[in-house]
Amino acid sequence: MDTVKLAWRNVWRNPRRSGVTIAAVSLALFVMILYSGMFIGYLKGMERGIVELEVGDAQIFAEGYRARPSIYKTIDDAEGLLTRLDEAGFRGSARLLGSGLAAAGDASSGISMRAVDVARDAEVGSIAEQVEVGAWLDPAAPDEVVIGRKLARTLGAEVGAELVILSQGTDGSMANDLYKVRGILRGISDAVDRGGVFMTHAAFRELMVFPEGAHQIIVRTPAGVPLPEAAARLKKLAPAQDANDWKTLMPNLASMLDSSRAAMMFMFVIIYVAIGIVVLNAMLMAVFERIREFGVLKALGVGPLGVFGLILIETFIQTGVAILIGVAASVPANWYMVNVGIDMSFGDLTLMGMAVDPIWRSQVDASTYVTPILLLLVIITLAVLYPAIRAARVHPVEAMRYQ
Amino acid sequence: MNNLSRRASLLSLAVGLVALSAPSLAWASAPESSPPPPPSPPDPSDPGFVRYLLNRIDDLHRGESSHGVLQMRVKTEHWTRSMAMESWSLGTELSLIRILEPKKERGTATLKAGDDLFTFLNKTGRTVKITGAMMGGSWMGSHFTNDDLVKDTRLADDFAAELSAGPEIDGAPSHVLTLTPRPDAPVVWGRVEITVRAGDLMPVKQLFYDEDGAPSRRLDYGDFREIGGRTIATRITMTPLDRPDEFTEIRYARLEFDVDLKREFFTLQQLQSM
Repeated sequence: MDTVKLAWRNVWRNPRRSGVTIAAVSLALFVMILYSGMFIGYLKGMERGIVELEVGDAQIFAEGYRARPSIYKTIDDAEGLLTRLDEAGFRGSARLLGSGLAAAGDASSGISMRAVDVARDAEVGSIAEQVEVGAWLDPAAPDEVVIGRKLARTLGAEVGAELVILSQGTDGSMANDLYKVRGILRGISDAVDRGGVFMTHAAFRELMVFPEGAHQIIVRTPAGVPLPEAAARLKKLAPAQDANDWKTLMPNLASMLDSSRAAMMFMFVIIYVAIGIVVLNAMLMAVFERIREFGVLKALGVGPLGVFGLILIETFIQTGVAILIGVAASVPANWYMVNVGIDMSFGDLTLMGMAVDPIWRSQVDASTYVTPILLLLVIITLAVLYPAIRAARVHPVEAMRYQ
Repeated sequence: MNNLSRRASLLSLAVGLVALSAPSLAWASAPESSPPPPPSPPDPSDPGFVRYLLNRIDDLHRGESSHGVLQMRVKTEHWTRSMAMESWSLGTELSLIRILEPKKERGTATLKAGDDLFTFLNKTGRTVKITGAMMGGSWMGSHFTNDDLVKDTRLADDFAAELSAGPEIDGAPSHVLTLTPRPDAPVVWGRVEITVRAGDLMPVKQLFYDEDGAPSRRLDYGDFREIGGRTIATRITMTPLDRPDEFTEIRYARLEFDVDLKREFFTLQQLQSM
């Protein structure tokens, strides 16, 4: 008990020195907490961008469609499959795909048509919220379409403009009809930006003479189920179809994410090492400055273990205060990073053709705080061990003469 | 469709259609004038024979102007359809083709003016200029691409040709012209083979090989008869060899050459008012 009291007094006996140590550790903890929130937020943000915006957690196609898309390669009994997905806790939305030409005035451009079930699609993705000008599709207005931003620029089409879509129906006939631009999307992905035309199922079926069937089902997996397991369940639900999670569908993007995870991890390690050195330095200075004091203690009969314990307790008192300060400082900083974030948009931010949310936001939970604190304690313990042992083993006479 | 195959299909028509020679479809650059072949062609041993033959194939179906009615039948894996069309052409720069049948598409038309291609859509009443990505797309649902229609080529200028004896066709001898593109010619084919009947020098078959030497398209000519004052093949079939069960067949029901047509006929206004 006396040792604790002594340690407590020692800490506040020299407020400047303790202040510097506490400040260094607080700052270190602050940076660690902030950075881990940003680290997780960055990775999750990219993943969420990919999954929510366009791709979904997984997609189902007819076998062979992806290798060689054709309007005739449809998913068998898409309606039944959707029902089975619902029952299994998945969410799915069927899309009809086709290609053609869109013309407005004198300009024309190749397009890829994506017909969506408006109600179901809202369950699987956020594309409906990505309309920059105008509004998203309305099933009640089947003659209105939503188009990609670069396509709109190519065609010189604004909201309300008339669009002629030209393609080939499934019966070989010349599919052509007039549509009105209802909305223009934000940057989504290169493919959508350049040639994406979203329309309702009804409009597509009428235009393309495509009375039934679907080409693609975008799937969101049940919450809390890890992706590989969910993908395995999905394959069982759609055994005759080509069902894959997004990591399989976009291997480049997935490995890109993995490597940026590794890069972030590497940065993480560097930051922790730097922080460890800062803390070690502060501890070394704090102990070696007081070698003569420890010499006196030992001369008064305090054993090596006593000195060692004293230094450890002093350190943990300082660390405790530093943790309080560090956490207190990082709470509002995290709040800012979660709710406001850093705007990284210098032009369009895309990752391998996929639009990424240009706002870098943190993702914060208990582990955002707990992990850095635990790691800090480990670093501090390691950092204080060497000076504490040195002080404990000091020879009283030499120490008192120590300059 | 990948870029190579798109360009490949384009050229097939470039060369193919020339011989295919639908007056309306044959939009290759014409010679100074398009005279009917001289009454007595040079002897096959004559060094000028190959060039004569190439020009003859190019010009066979060309007139200063033309007007015709044709049937186009397209068979694909998923559907077969037949269309009746009416065609007009003036020189090599201007042509117009309009669908007569089926009723649903009657009035849909393609206008070629120089390098520009327009499609008038009867259903929407709009005219679309075919550009960029759509140039590689199918023309009126056929195996020909839009690009094929505007592509200019001249066999004698773009290819080096070699003459050899061909197989017997219906007991009659034939010549085979093996064409290799000249280095700077805008041609994606590795090789083109044209089989010509030795008797009347009528082309009966064209085979197009890609740059790897694999055959990729075939044009067959049949139903030779006199039409519009000339003897030509009135049935031309194009088979994409990567899908041998599919084909596009064109038959001429009527064809007149050197008809009275004005340049004003080949305008967007005309396209829309027909």
